[in-house]
Amino acid sequence: MGITILLWGYFLFGYLFILFFLFIPCYVRLKSSDAVLQKLFHIHLKCFFSLVEFLAPGIKFMIPEDVRRLRSSIIVCNHISYLDPILLVSLFPRQTTIVKNTFFSVPIFSWFLRKAGYVPSAPSEMYGPAMINHLEGIKRHLAAGGNLFVFPEGTRSHSGKLAPFNKGVFSIARYCNTGLKLVFIRHTNKLFRPGTFSFQTCEKNTIALELIASLTPDYSADQFSISTVADQAKLIFERKIAEDRRREDAGS
Amino acid sequence: MTRQDIEKEVRAIFLREFEVENPEPDVNLREAYGFDSIDAIELLLEIEKFLGSELTQAEKKKAMDIRTLNQIIDYIERLAEKRQATAETK
Repeated sequence: MGITILLWGYFLFGYLFILFFLFIPCYVRLKSSDAVLQKLFHIHLKCFFSLVEFLAPGIKFMIPEDVRRLRSSIIVCNHISYLDPILLVSLFPRQTTIVKNTFFSVPIFSWFLRKAGYVPSAPSEMYGPAMINHLEGIKRHLAAGGNLFVFPEGTRSHSGKLAPFNKGVFSIARYCNTGLKLVFIRHTNKLFRPGTFSFQTCEKNTIALELIASLTPDYSADQFSISTVADQAKLIFERKIAEDRRREDAGS
Repeated sequence: MTRQDIEKEVRAIFLREFEVENPEPDVNLREAYGFDSIDAIELLLEIEKFLGSELTQAEKKKAMDIRTLNQIIDYIERLAEKRQATAETK
Protein backbone atom coordinates (compact mmCIF):
# COMPACT_ATOMS: atom_id res chain seq x y z
CA MET A 1 0.00 0.00 0.00
CA GLY A 2 2.85 2.38 0.92
CA ILE A 3 4.41 1.95 -2.50
CA THR A 4 1.09 2.67 -4.20
CA ILE A 5 0.73 5.94 -2.25
CA LEU A 6 4.30 6.93 -3.12
CA LEU A 7 3.77 6.20 -6.81
CA TRP A 8 0.45 8.02 -6.98
CA GLY A 9 1.96 10.93 -5.05
CA TYR A 10 4.88 11.21 -7.43
CA PHE A 11 2.60 10.83 -10.45
CA LEU A 12 0.10 13.53 -9.45
CA PHE A 13 2.40 16.05 -7.80
CA GLY A 14 4.87 15.59 -10.64
CA TYR A 15 2.30 17.04 -13.02
CA LEU A 16 1.69 20.04 -10.75
CA PHE A 17 5.43 20.60 -10.39
CA ILE A 18 5.82 20.45 -14.16
CA LEU A 19 3.08 23.03 -14.63
CA PHE A 20 4.30 25.62 -12.17
CA PHE A 21 8.06 25.21 -12.18
CA LEU A 22 8.94 23.89 -15.62
CA PHE A 23 6.22 24.41 -18.19
CA ILE A 24 5.39 28.09 -17.64
CA PRO A 25 9.07 29.23 -17.74
CA CYS A 26 9.75 27.03 -20.80
CA TYR A 27 6.59 28.22 -22.54
CA VAL A 28 7.46 31.87 -21.95
CA ARG A 29 10.92 31.26 -23.39
CA LEU A 30 10.16 28.95 -26.32
CA LYS A 31 6.54 29.85 -27.21
CA SER A 32 5.90 26.32 -28.40
CA SER A 33 3.78 24.41 -25.94
CA ASP A 34 3.38 20.99 -27.55
CA ALA A 35 7.04 20.02 -27.97
CA VAL A 36 7.94 21.35 -24.51
CA LEU A 37 5.11 19.57 -22.75
CA GLN A 38 5.69 16.28 -24.60
CA LYS A 39 9.32 16.38 -23.51
CA LEU A 40 8.38 17.22 -19.90
CA PHE A 41 5.77 14.45 -19.78
CA HIS A 42 8.38 12.09 -21.19
CA ILE A 43 10.93 12.97 -18.51
CA HIS A 44 8.33 12.86 -15.72
CA LEU A 45 7.06 9.42 -16.73
CA LYS A 46 10.54 8.07 -17.36
CA CYS A 47 11.30 9.00 -13.74
CA PHE A 48 7.99 7.41 -12.69
CA PHE A 49 8.96 4.04 -14.17
CA SER A 50 12.48 4.32 -12.73
CA LEU A 51 10.79 4.84 -9.36
CA VAL A 52 8.64 1.75 -9.96
CA GLU A 53 11.77 -0.29 -10.65
CA PHE A 54 13.51 1.15 -7.60
CA LEU A 55 10.61 0.60 -5.18
CA ALA A 56 9.59 -2.78 -6.58
CA PRO A 57 12.69 -4.78 -7.51
CA GLY A 58 10.48 -7.65 -8.72
CA ILE A 59 9.20 -5.49 -11.59
CA LYS A 60 11.38 -5.52 -14.70
CA PHE A 61 10.98 -3.73 -18.00
CA MET A 62 12.06 -5.34 -21.25
CA ILE A 63 12.04 -2.66 -23.94
CA PRO A 64 14.14 -3.64 -26.97
CA GLU A 65 16.21 -1.09 -28.89
CA ASP A 66 14.08 -1.38 -32.05
CA VAL A 67 11.11 -0.09 -30.06
CA ARG A 68 13.07 2.64 -28.26
CA ARG A 69 14.48 3.90 -31.55
CA LEU A 70 11.10 4.37 -33.27
CA ARG A 71 10.72 7.91 -34.65
CA SER A 72 8.31 9.55 -37.09
CA SER A 73 6.15 6.46 -36.74
CA ILE A 74 2.54 5.57 -36.27
CA ILE A 75 2.59 2.95 -33.54
CA VAL A 76 -0.34 0.58 -33.16
CA CYS A 77 -0.62 -1.27 -29.85
CA ASN A 78 -2.86 -3.68 -27.99
CA HIS A 79 -4.36 -2.10 -24.85
CA ILE A 80 -4.45 -3.95 -21.54
CA SER A 81 -3.90 -1.31 -18.85
CA TYR A 82 -4.01 2.42 -18.14
CA LEU A 83 -0.23 2.12 -17.84
CA ASP A 84 0.13 1.47 -21.60
CA PRO A 85 -0.07 5.08 -22.79
CA ILE A 86 2.12 6.43 -20.00
CA LEU A 87 4.71 3.71 -20.65
CA LEU A 88 4.83 4.78 -24.30
CA VAL A 89 5.14 8.45 -23.32
CA SER A 90 8.08 7.50 -21.08
CA LEU A 91 9.85 5.97 -24.10
CA PHE A 92 9.50 8.70 -26.72
CA PRO A 93 10.49 12.35 -26.21
CA ARG A 94 8.08 13.51 -28.93
CA GLN A 95 4.79 11.69 -28.85
CA THR A 96 1.11 12.28 -29.37
CA THR A 97 -1.97 10.12 -29.21
CA ILE A 98 -5.72 10.13 -29.51
CA VAL A 99 -7.12 10.52 -26.02
CA LYS A 100 -10.52 9.39 -24.76
CA ASN A 101 -12.85 12.32 -24.41
CA THR A 102 -13.47 11.68 -20.69
CA PHE A 103 -9.89 12.76 -19.93
CA PHE A 104 -10.59 16.10 -21.58
CA SER A 105 -13.22 16.83 -18.94
CA VAL A 106 -10.72 16.58 -16.05
CA PRO A 107 -9.75 20.11 -14.90
CA ILE A 108 -6.06 21.08 -15.30
CA PHE A 109 -5.22 17.71 -16.87
CA SER A 110 -7.37 18.51 -19.92
CA TRP A 111 -5.59 21.85 -20.31
CA PHE A 112 -2.26 19.99 -20.22
CA LEU A 113 -3.45 17.50 -22.81
CA ARG A 114 -4.57 20.19 -25.23
CA LYS A 115 -1.37 22.18 -24.78
CA ALA A 116 0.64 18.99 -25.40
CA GLY A 117 -1.07 18.58 -28.76
CA TYR A 118 -2.96 15.38 -27.89
CA VAL A 119 -5.99 14.74 -30.03
CA PRO A 120 -9.41 14.30 -28.41
CA SER A 121 -11.53 11.45 -29.69
CA ALA A 122 -14.79 13.42 -29.28
CA PRO A 123 -16.96 13.40 -32.41
CA SER A 124 -17.19 17.21 -32.26
CA GLU A 125 -13.37 17.42 -32.44
CA MET A 126 -13.09 14.82 -35.16
CA TYR A 127 -15.75 16.25 -37.40
CA GLY A 128 -15.70 18.97 -40.00
CA PRO A 129 -12.68 21.19 -40.69
CA ALA A 130 -11.29 20.55 -37.18
CA MET A 131 -10.52 17.02 -38.31
CA ILE A 132 -8.32 18.29 -41.13
CA ASN A 133 -6.51 20.60 -38.69
CA HIS A 134 -5.79 17.65 -36.38
CA LEU A 135 -4.57 15.49 -39.27
CA GLU A 136 -2.32 18.23 -40.61
CA GLY A 137 -0.97 18.66 -37.07
CA ILE A 138 -0.19 14.94 -36.88
CA LYS A 139 1.54 15.13 -40.26
CA ARG A 140 3.79 17.96 -39.01
CA HIS A 141 4.42 16.10 -35.76
CA LEU A 142 5.57 12.97 -37.64
CA ALA A 143 7.73 15.05 -39.97
CA ALA A 144 9.43 16.58 -36.91
CA GLY A 145 10.41 13.10 -35.69
CA GLY A 146 7.51 12.55 -33.32
CA ASN A 147 5.50 9.37 -32.92
CA LEU A 148 1.75 8.87 -32.86
CA PHE A 149 0.70 5.89 -30.80
CA VAL A 150 -2.83 4.56 -30.98
CA PHE A 151 -4.83 1.74 -29.44
CA PRO A 152 -7.23 0.74 -32.22
CA GLU A 153 -9.37 -1.27 -29.80
CA GLY A 154 -10.34 2.06 -28.25
CA THR A 155 -10.53 0.62 -24.76
CA ARG A 156 -8.63 -1.73 -22.48
CA SER A 157 -9.16 -5.42 -22.88
CA HIS A 158 -10.21 -7.07 -19.61
CA SER A 159 -10.18 -10.60 -21.01
CA GLY A 160 -6.91 -10.55 -22.94
CA LYS A 161 -8.85 -10.99 -26.17
CA LEU A 162 -8.67 -8.29 -28.81
CA ALA A 163 -11.71 -6.05 -29.24
CA PRO A 164 -12.68 -5.09 -32.81
CA PHE A 165 -10.24 -2.60 -34.35
CA ASN A 166 -11.38 0.92 -35.09
CA LYS A 167 -10.00 1.73 -38.53
CA GLY A 168 -9.36 5.42 -37.73
CA VAL A 169 -5.62 5.00 -37.14
CA PHE A 170 -5.24 3.23 -40.47
CA SER A 171 -6.96 6.12 -42.23
CA ILE A 172 -4.67 8.55 -40.41
CA ALA A 173 -1.65 6.53 -41.57
CA ARG A 174 -2.90 6.70 -45.14
CA TYR A 175 -3.56 10.45 -44.85
CA CYS A 176 0.00 10.95 -43.60
CA ASN A 177 1.34 8.46 -46.17
CA THR A 178 3.13 6.60 -43.38
CA GLY A 179 3.57 2.93 -42.54
CA LEU A 180 2.52 1.33 -39.27
CA LYS A 181 4.60 -0.21 -36.51
CA LEU A 182 2.79 -2.86 -34.53
CA VAL A 183 4.00 -2.99 -30.93
CA PHE A 184 2.79 -5.72 -28.61
CA ILE A 185 2.45 -4.85 -24.91
CA ARG A 186 2.70 -7.53 -22.23
CA HIS A 187 1.90 -7.61 -18.52
CA THR A 188 1.24 -3.93 -17.76
CA ASN A 189 -2.13 -5.24 -16.54
CA LYS A 190 -0.34 -7.32 -13.90
CA LEU A 191 1.23 -4.19 -12.39
CA PHE A 192 -1.89 -2.02 -12.61
CA ARG A 193 -5.00 -4.15 -13.01
CA PRO A 194 -8.10 -2.74 -14.67
CA GLY A 195 -10.62 -1.76 -12.02
CA THR A 196 -8.08 -1.25 -9.20
CA PHE A 197 -6.18 1.75 -7.85
CA SER A 198 -3.23 -0.06 -6.37
CA PHE A 199 0.01 -1.13 -7.99
CA GLN A 200 0.76 -4.84 -7.69
CA THR A 201 4.39 -4.37 -6.70
CA CYS A 202 4.83 -7.53 -4.63
CA GLU A 203 4.44 -9.90 -7.57
CA LYS A 204 7.37 -10.66 -9.85
CA ASN A 205 6.53 -9.29 -13.27
CA THR A 206 8.33 -8.47 -16.50
CA ILE A 207 6.63 -5.80 -18.55
CA ALA A 208 7.67 -6.20 -22.16
CA LEU A 209 7.20 -4.39 -25.44
CA GLU A 210 7.89 -6.06 -28.76
CA LEU A 211 7.88 -4.72 -32.30
CA ILE A 212 5.94 -7.52 -33.98
CA ALA A 213 5.50 -6.11 -37.49
CA SER A 214 6.06 -3.11 -39.74
CA LEU A 215 3.31 -2.60 -42.28
CA THR A 216 3.99 -0.49 -45.35
CA PRO A 217 0.75 -0.54 -47.32
CA ASP A 218 0.77 0.54 -50.96
CA TYR A 219 -1.73 3.36 -50.62
CA SER A 220 -1.69 4.09 -54.36
CA ALA A 221 -2.66 0.54 -55.41
CA ASP A 222 -5.96 0.32 -57.27
CA GLN A 223 -7.43 -2.27 -54.96
CA PHE A 224 -6.08 -0.75 -51.75
CA SER A 225 -8.54 -1.00 -48.88
CA ILE A 226 -8.24 0.32 -45.31
CA SER A 227 -10.31 -2.57 -43.98
CA THR A 228 -7.79 -5.05 -45.39
CA VAL A 229 -4.90 -3.29 -43.59
CA ALA A 230 -6.91 -3.14 -40.33
CA ASP A 231 -7.76 -6.85 -40.63
CA GLN A 232 -4.12 -7.69 -41.37
CA ALA A 233 -2.95 -5.79 -38.27
CA LYS A 234 -5.58 -7.44 -36.07
CA LEU A 235 -4.62 -10.88 -37.35
CA ILE A 236 -0.95 -10.25 -36.48
CA PHE A 237 -1.92 -9.26 -32.92
CA GLU A 238 -4.24 -12.26 -32.58
CA ARG A 239 -1.48 -14.64 -33.64
CA LYS A 240 0.86 -13.03 -31.13
CA ILE A 241 -1.65 -13.37 -28.31
CA ALA A 242 -2.30 -17.04 -29.23
CA GLU A 243 1.45 -17.71 -29.39
CA ASP A 244 1.93 -16.07 -25.97
CA ARG A 245 -0.90 -18.06 -24.46
CA ARG A 246 0.53 -21.33 -25.80
CA ARG A 247 3.94 -20.41 -24.33
CA GLU A 248 2.44 -19.53 -20.93
CA ASP A 249 0.36 -22.74 -20.88
CA ALA A 250 3.45 -24.78 -21.71
CA GLY A 251 5.41 -23.02 -18.94
CA SER A 252 2.81 -23.50 -16.21
CA MET B 1 -15.03 13.26 -67.18
CA THR B 2 -18.84 13.30 -67.09
CA ARG B 3 -21.13 13.49 -64.06
CA GLN B 4 -22.10 9.86 -64.77
CA ASP B 5 -18.43 8.79 -64.61
CA ILE B 6 -18.06 10.54 -61.28
CA GLU B 7 -21.22 9.00 -59.87
CA LYS B 8 -20.14 5.52 -61.00
CA GLU B 9 -16.77 5.97 -59.30
CA VAL B 10 -18.26 7.34 -56.06
CA ARG B 11 -20.70 4.43 -55.86
CA ALA B 12 -17.80 2.01 -56.43
CA ILE B 13 -15.85 3.69 -53.59
CA PHE B 14 -18.84 3.41 -51.26
CA LEU B 15 -19.21 -0.27 -52.01
CA ARG B 16 -15.49 -1.07 -51.73
CA GLU B 17 -14.55 1.12 -48.74
CA PHE B 18 -17.75 1.45 -46.72
CA GLU B 19 -19.72 -1.62 -47.81
CA VAL B 20 -22.65 0.62 -48.75
CA GLU B 21 -24.44 -0.57 -51.85
CA ASN B 22 -26.23 2.03 -53.96
CA PRO B 23 -26.56 4.87 -51.43
CA GLU B 24 -29.57 7.13 -51.94
CA PRO B 25 -28.49 10.35 -53.67
CA ASP B 26 -30.03 12.82 -51.23
CA VAL B 27 -30.06 11.13 -47.85
CA ASN B 28 -27.80 12.28 -45.04
CA LEU B 29 -24.94 9.76 -45.20
CA ARG B 30 -24.16 10.16 -41.52
CA GLU B 31 -27.68 9.40 -40.38
CA ALA B 32 -28.49 6.71 -42.96
CA TYR B 33 -25.21 4.78 -43.11
CA GLY B 34 -23.24 5.90 -40.05
CA PHE B 35 -20.72 7.68 -42.28
CA ASP B 36 -18.29 9.42 -39.92
CA SER B 37 -15.41 11.84 -40.29
CA ILE B 38 -12.85 9.05 -40.59
CA ASP B 39 -14.91 7.73 -43.52
CA ALA B 40 -14.89 11.26 -44.92
CA ILE B 41 -11.08 11.24 -44.78
CA GLU B 42 -11.03 7.92 -46.59
CA LEU B 43 -13.34 9.33 -49.23
CA LEU B 44 -11.10 12.37 -49.66
CA LEU B 45 -8.08 10.15 -50.25
CA GLU B 46 -10.04 8.12 -52.78
CA ILE B 47 -11.08 11.33 -54.53
CA GLU B 48 -7.43 12.39 -54.73
CA LYS B 49 -6.64 9.04 -56.33
CA PHE B 50 -9.54 9.38 -58.76
CA LEU B 51 -8.56 12.93 -59.78
CA GLY B 52 -4.88 12.06 -59.89
CA SER B 53 -3.91 15.13 -57.87
CA GLU B 54 -3.66 16.18 -54.25
CA LEU B 55 -6.33 18.35 -52.70
CA THR B 56 -5.39 21.58 -50.96
CA GLN B 57 -6.16 22.01 -47.25
CA ALA B 58 -8.96 24.45 -48.11
CA GLU B 59 -10.50 21.93 -50.52
CA LYS B 60 -10.29 19.21 -47.88
CA LYS B 61 -11.92 21.40 -45.24
CA LYS B 62 -14.74 22.21 -47.63
CA ALA B 63 -15.37 18.49 -48.14
CA MET B 64 -15.81 17.89 -44.42
CA ASP B 65 -19.21 19.63 -44.47
CA ILE B 66 -20.64 17.44 -47.24
CA ARG B 67 -23.66 15.38 -46.20
CA THR B 68 -25.12 13.60 -49.25
CA LEU B 69 -24.01 11.60 -52.26
CA ASN B 70 -25.16 14.31 -54.65
CA GLN B 71 -23.10 16.88 -52.76
CA ILE B 72 -20.06 14.62 -53.13
CA ILE B 73 -20.62 14.37 -56.87
CA ASP B 74 -21.06 18.18 -57.13
CA TYR B 75 -17.87 18.64 -55.14
CA ILE B 76 -15.83 16.32 -57.38
CA GLU B 77 -17.33 17.86 -60.50
CA ARG B 78 -16.22 21.33 -59.37
CA LEU B 79 -12.73 20.06 -58.52
CA ALA B 80 -12.41 18.32 -61.89
CA GLU B 81 -13.52 21.50 -63.72
CA LYS B 82 -11.08 23.60 -61.72
CA ARG B 83 -8.21 21.24 -62.51
CA GLN B 84 -9.13 21.11 -66.18
CA ALA B 85 -9.26 24.93 -66.35
CA THR B 86 -5.85 25.14 -64.68
CA ALA B 87 -4.41 22.58 -67.11
CA GLU B 88 -5.77 24.49 -70.11
CA THR B 89 -4.28 27.81 -69.01
CA LYS B 90 -0.83 26.23 -68.68
